[in-house]
Amino acid sequence: MPSQLPRPYVSVVVPLYNEQDSVEPLHQQITSALVALGASYEIIFVDDGSRDRTFAVAEALAARDPSLRVIKFRANAGQTPAMAAGIDHARGETIVTMDGDLQNDPDDIQYLLRELERGHDLAVGWRFERQDKFLSRRLPSVIANRLIRKVTRVAIKDNGCSLKAFRAKVIQGVPLYSEMHRFIPAMMSVAGPKIAEIKVKHHARRFGQSKYGLARIYRVLLDLLIVKSVASFSDRPLLWFALLGVPAALIGVGGLVIGLGVQYARFGQVSLPVAGSGLLFLALALFLFLGGALAELVFKTGDVRPRQFAALTMTRPGTQGAGAGQ
Amino acid sequence: MSAPDISVIVPVTLRHDDVAALFATYREALDDLGRSYEIIYVLDGPKPDVLDELQKLRATGRRLEIAQLARSFGEATALAAGFEISRGALILTLPAYFQVDTRALRALLDAKNDHHMVVAHRWPRRGSAFDKLRRGLFHRLIRAVTGSTYRDLGCGVRLLDRQVLEEISLYGDQHRLLPVIVERNGFRVREVDLPQSDRDEFRGRYSFRHMVGRILDVFTIFFLVRFTKKPLRFFGGVGGTMCVFGGVYLLVLIVQRLFFGQPLADRPALLLSSLLVVLGIQIVGLGLLGELIIFSHARDIKEYRVERIVN
Repeated sequence: MPSQLPRPYVSVVVPLYNEQDSVEPLHQQITSALVALGASYEIIFVDDGSRDRTFAVAEALAARDPSLRVIKFRANAGQTPAMAAGIDHARGETIVTMDGDLQNDPDDIQYLLRELERGHDLAVGWRFERQDKFLSRRLPSVIANRLIRKVTRVAIKDNGCSLKAFRAKVIQGVPLYSEMHRFIPAMMSVAGPKIAEIKVKHHARRFGQSKYGLARIYRVLLDLLIVKSVASFSDRPLLWFALLGVPAALIGVGGLVIGLGVQYARFGQVSLPVAGSGLLFLALALFLFLGGALAELVFKTGDVRPRQFAALTMTRPGTQGAGAGQ
Repeated sequence: MSAPDISVIVPVTLRHDDVAALFATYREALDDLGRSYEIIYVLDGPKPDVLDELQKLRATGRRLEIAQLARSFGEATALAAGFEISRGALILTLPAYFQVDTRALRALLDAKNDHHMVVAHRWPRRGSAFDKLRRGLFHRLIRAVTGSTYRDLGCGVRLLDRQVLEEISLYGDQHRLLPVIVERNGFRVREVDLPQSDRDEFRGRYSFRHMVGRILDVFTIFFLVRFTKKPLRFFGGVGGTMCVFGGVYLLVLIVQRLFFGQPLADRPALLLSSLLVVLGIQIVGLGLLGELIIFSHARDIKEYRVERIVN
C-alpha cells in the first residue's frame, strides 16, 4: 500500500461483477467527475471473478489511464470482500465506494467529499428517488432500513446505497467481511464516527442483470443481529457476557432455593427437577462468564482495538486544524 | 544447479509398497515426460526400513532427496514439508504405493493448461461392491456439503502450481481434502481419469480409526464451509431453534402449573426444557465467540484472493 508517490486526494473503489458493458462508460463518468473536481485521484476497479469480459475491458482502459488500477480476483468472492480489497489497496486520503452498475452518479462524489471536508468521517448517499421496481426492491429496502435504524441506532435512511465517502484511516481500521457492506455505517459506529447523509441521484439499470433478489432479506436480518451483537460486544466483552449471565444466575439460585428449601419446608421432600434446573442455569451463568473471559482474550490478540478507533475519530476542540486525529 | 521443472513429492506414511520397484516405475514414467524433475521422499516419522532402501538407491547413483520428519505428523504435513525443500515450478505428488498406471501420467500434464491443479481419478477402477458403496457415500457427502464433484479424493496423484501450496496452509490429515481446499481458495481445479495400477491393492482392512478419520474429513470440510465466514449464522440457527423449543416447552409447563394446578416439582419435563434452553444459549454464545474472533481478526483473514493487479 505505501508508495513513493504522493497520496492522491481521493480513491474511488468500484467492485465489478459481470459488468462488461458498464466498465467503459463508468470509467469515463468517474474520470470526468473527478477531473472537474480538480483534485488528485485514483480509480480502483475490483473485478470480483467476473465470467464475462469485464477484466479485459478494464485492463485495456488501465493501459491508457495510469490513474486507473484494476484488481482481479481469482474467483468470485462477493461484494463486501471486493470493496474490502479496494479499500485495502487504496492510497487516497479519502475513499469513495460506489456500485459498478451505473446506478450511482459519479457527479455526486463532490458533495460527499464536501461533507468530509466539513469534518465528517463518513458521508453516505441517500437514493431519495430510487429507480427500481417497487415491490421487489424498494419495499423490502424500506422495511430493512427502518429495522437497521432501530436496531443499530445509526440514523441512516438508506443503508443499501453503495455511494459512500470515508476518511481513509477510519474505514481502513474497520473490519469488513462477509456481506457487511450494507452495514458499513453500523460497523463503523464502533468507532463513533460523525456521519452525514446526503441525497444522491439514482439511475435505472442500463446494462446487465440485477444481482439481488428477495431471498437476501432473511440474510440481512441475520446479519443485522450479528452486527448489532458484535458492535455492542466489542467494547467490553466480559461485561456483556457477564450481564447475560446475571439473569441465568438469578434463575439458578431461585431454582435451588425453591427446589431444596421451599419444597422441603412445605412437603418435607426436596424437588429434584426444580433443583436440577436451578443447577443447570447456574452452570449456564458460569459458562457465560467464562465465555466473556475468552472474548476478552480474543480482543486482546485481535487487531480491532477500541482504543485505536477512539484515536481515529477524536477531535481536538480549540486546536488548529481540528478534525480527525492524524 | 538450476531449478527443475517438476518437483515430485512422495510422502511415505503407513502404507507403502516395495520402494525400489516403485521408484523404478516412477523414474521411467517421469523420464518419459521429457521435463527436468527432482524426486523428494518425505518419511512421515522414522521408518528405518524405507530409509535404508532409499539410501541404497542413492548409493547406486540415483538422484533423490530424502526428508524424514522427527515424528508422524500426518500425510498433509509431510507434503507441506516436502514442498518446503522443493524447487520446481510444478509440484507433482505421488503416493508411496502403486495407485495409478504411471504410464498415463502425461494426461495430467496435458490437462493442466490454465488450471492451477489437476487431480487424478482412478478410472477404470476395481473394488468390491462394498468398497464402491463406501466410496460413493463419502464423495456424495462431500459433494452435499461443498458442491464440488470430486470422485476420488483418496488418490494421491496431483499436479499443482507452486503458487497454490504457497498460499494455502496444509496440515494433519487434510491431504484428502486438498482439491476442495484449493478450490475454495479460488484456484481452478480439474479432475482427470487415469487408469488404476494393477498393483493398487490395499491388503489390510480399514481400521476403525480410518473410518472415523473419513467421517471427520467430512466434518472438517463442513466446518470450513459453514463457519469460517459467519459462525453466528450457523450456531445461532441451531442454538436459537433449541432455545425456542425449550422456552415454549417451559412456558407450557409453567402455564399448566399456574392455571391448571398441575404440579411441576416432580416432573422431569422441567429438567428437559431447562436443559434445552441452557444448551441453546450456550450454542449461541459459542457462535458469538466465533463471530467475535472473525470480527477482531478480519484483517488477517482475507476473504479475497487477488490474482493480478494492473497499474
